[in-house]
Amino acid sequence: MTMLSRVAERLYWMARYLERAEDTARLVMAYQHIIMDIPKGSEPGWDVLISILDANPVFNERYRAANEQNVLKFLIADRDNFSSIPSSIKAARENVRTTRDVLPEEAWEMVNELHLYVEEMSEGSVGRRNRHAFLEHVVSRCQMINGLLMSNLSRDHSYRFIKLGRLLERSDMITRVIDVGAGDILEREGAFEAIDPLLWGALLQGLSAMGAYRRAVGPLVEKNAVVDFVFSEQMFPRSVRFCLSGIREELGPLRSNKNALRVVERARRKLRRFDPNAATREELHRFIDGFQLTLNDLSAVITDTWFEPE
Amino acid sequence: MFVVLSVVHSAGSCPVIGVLSNVIPLLKCNGMNKSWKSYQAGDFFDELITPKGQPRVAARQAVKLLQSLPRDEMDARRAAAELAIKEMGISFTVYTEGGNIDRAWPFDIIPRVIPAKDWAEVSTGLTQRSRALNCFIDDIYNAQNILKDGVVPSEIVLDSPNYRPECAGISPRHGVWAHICGSDLVRAGDGKFYVLEDNLRVPSGVSYMIENREITKRVLPELFENYSILPVDDYPSRLYQMLASLSPRDRRRPCVVVLTPGIYNSAYFEHAFLAQGMGAELVEGGDLFVDDTDKVYMRTVDGPVRVDVIYRRIDEDFMDPEVFREDSALGVPGLMRAWKAGKVAIANAPGAGVADDKVVYAYVPDMIRYYLKEEPLLESVPTYLCMREKDREYVLKNLKDLVVKPANESGGYGLMVGPHSTKAVHRKFAKLIKEDPRNYIAQPTLSLSTAPTYIDDSVQPRHLDLRPFILQGKDCWVTPGGLTRVALVKGSLVVNSSQGGGSKDTWIVEGKK
Repeated sequence: MTMLSRVAERLYWMARYLERAEDTARLVMAYQHIIMDIPKGSEPGWDVLISILDANPVFNERYRAANEQNVLKFLIADRDNFSSIPSSIKAARENVRTTRDVLPEEAWEMVNELHLYVEEMSEGSVGRRNRHAFLEHVVSRCQMINGLLMSNLSRDHSYRFIKLGRLLERSDMITRVIDVGAGDILEREGAFEAIDPLLWGALLQGLSAMGAYRRAVGPLVEKNAVVDFVFSEQMFPRSVRFCLSGIREELGPLRSNKNALRVVERARRKLRRFDPNAATREELHRFIDGFQLTLNDLSAVITDTWFEPE
Repeated sequence: MFVVLSVVHSAGSCPVIGVLSNVIPLLKCNGMNKSWKSYQAGDFFDELITPKGQPRVAARQAVKLLQSLPRDEMDARRAAAELAIKEMGISFTVYTEGGNIDRAWPFDIIPRVIPAKDWAEVSTGLTQRSRALNCFIDDIYNAQNILKDGVVPSEIVLDSPNYRPECAGISPRHGVWAHICGSDLVRAGDGKFYVLEDNLRVPSGVSYMIENREITKRVLPELFENYSILPVDDYPSRLYQMLASLSPRDRRRPCVVVLTPGIYNSAYFEHAFLAQGMGAELVEGGDLFVDDTDKVYMRTVDGPVRVDVIYRRIDEDFMDPEVFREDSALGVPGLMRAWKAGKVAIANAPGAGVADDKVVYAYVPDMIRYYLKEEPLLESVPTYLCMREKDREYVLKNLKDLVVKPANESGGYGLMVGPHSTKAVHRKFAKLIKEDPRNYIAQPTLSLSTAPTYIDDSVQPRHLDLRPFILQGKDCWVTPGGLTRVALVKGSLVVNSSQGGGSKDTWIVEGKK
């Protein structure tokens, strides 16, 4: 089946935006758990979420204080923040709107429905009362859409570019979530030692990884084991390693894939060489920063090779 | 308000079954909902109801069932239809000064019913018309016999902005230029169908015809129980077959693409719908390029892929900046070159619009006699050409009784309905006609047929028209029915969706089972 370069690009971004919306929703839910569990007075600030998403400049331009109300408004209801949930869903919808002819018929209806839901509900879901239901709805709808694509799409180029977009975005978001636990964001090494298991447990939950972690590693939640699991577990679909393998697999059948494969190999090598047991929080954070740059490189190579070929 | 509602409840002799919101219960009950009681078809031909107030034979079952629905049930069905339209994303775009608005497709849940034997005659008439129109276009760009023989005055053809000298000397495959034709029909007081105009450039609306059926199936499933209704959803495969028959290369599966101006076009929904229905690529100008051997390719992730047939949904002015508008960013440089060299087929062919002109329209019956040696099977509306002195005098004297239309506008823009216009408007149009007589025609105000339409909380007669689609490639095929458009404003005759029109599902029904 032929695939227009323009269409491939839109599918890729549709998948990235949907994954971004879902992961942002997961992240907020997980973080809320942490805040609720940590004794009053010692809890980290909501600004951590802004840092994770590298959104400080945009946020500071529009809000004075990084309090719960503002941060949640920024992530859940702010249409001027192009990474907010409504912006992501809207961008996904625009991309589906212009590619619906290569997607299963229900895809457009589902994404459009989600868009309408978010448009209607996001404003009223900033407060704690409705927030959880809203985020859960977003996550479950994104999963439905992914499920639809997984079970209905032919394994051709459309599926391939959707999967590339989803896995790239997911790798990026996994490393961001882990970054919450890294020292740089929580300021001081050891400052939250007492609540460490709570923190890492919540992060695992944010990645839907708690159950898988318990079965594979055991009931004890501990930083190094969590990082190792989320980075390198071979069998778990929300581990970075698993995502990279998936990306490599989908690049395989594509024409002129050399450059892209080279970057994926670089990322895999970096991941293999990183040892969570030997790294401080500071080193973990630096590793994540560098790894995210590699993912950016990969996205740039994909764009140059297949979306804007000369 | 509440008083009326309670009256409906107590008057309705049918038990309410279950909850009415989402689950649609089977209602088997008699008695008439109050919404219908005051229905009067008036002086017009009504599609469903006879002048005596009885349902027409073909519509009897449907009308009976609809009449048995209590008002809150009708409201629930209407709400379900609106929801389905919203969720299916069926929309169209209205251009306004304040930006473009994406509006939900306006739909009336009461279908229009036409007996199959009536339709068979219309269908044959449309086929005849399409054949003659294509003979005419092919003749105009080649031998011009019809002009030489004086059947059609050559100045009205050759001076028309729709005549494209660039197309002279070309003869597309099967001699067909207008592959997809959307003809607007109206039914007048005598119950006969009249052709109002033939849209030969980029006619739209067919996707709404298909979706309207889909909506009716969802919200009024029990209506289908006692009917055998000709299906409409095979249109995309018919379209594909027709387009494939144009391919310059002999391949089992020629590469067909739909060329759209993009998401901001009012008919984008339809472009995507048809591409998907045909399993064809939906391309924008930037996706295509023409190489120095005049072949057309699309840019894909696997490299360039050769294109055989382009179903073009962009206006020919924007098609090729090398030939037409230089400033067009929507087109493909070199496309005309490729088409003239016979390396790619384009539907509708550039230049086909020469027969889509309200002045040329007046000559279609003559064309049928000239090319086919047949008598026209479908009626045309008597047309006064303001370029003719005698006609113009008559038109200017009788503006208040006539419909005046510019020769080259579509979408219901720039027309005047005499009986519904003020004297100031009459004066304005008199001035326009005198300034540019070639650009205006006038027709008697037809008493357009009506059909029961659910407005607010009662069923009222509204005027409607019908746009069937004719596909002409190697063979000719006509949609069973078409898109019925309805003027939702009381007494209005303007059915265009951009001007407050709605639509109805259109049923061609075969005799009783």
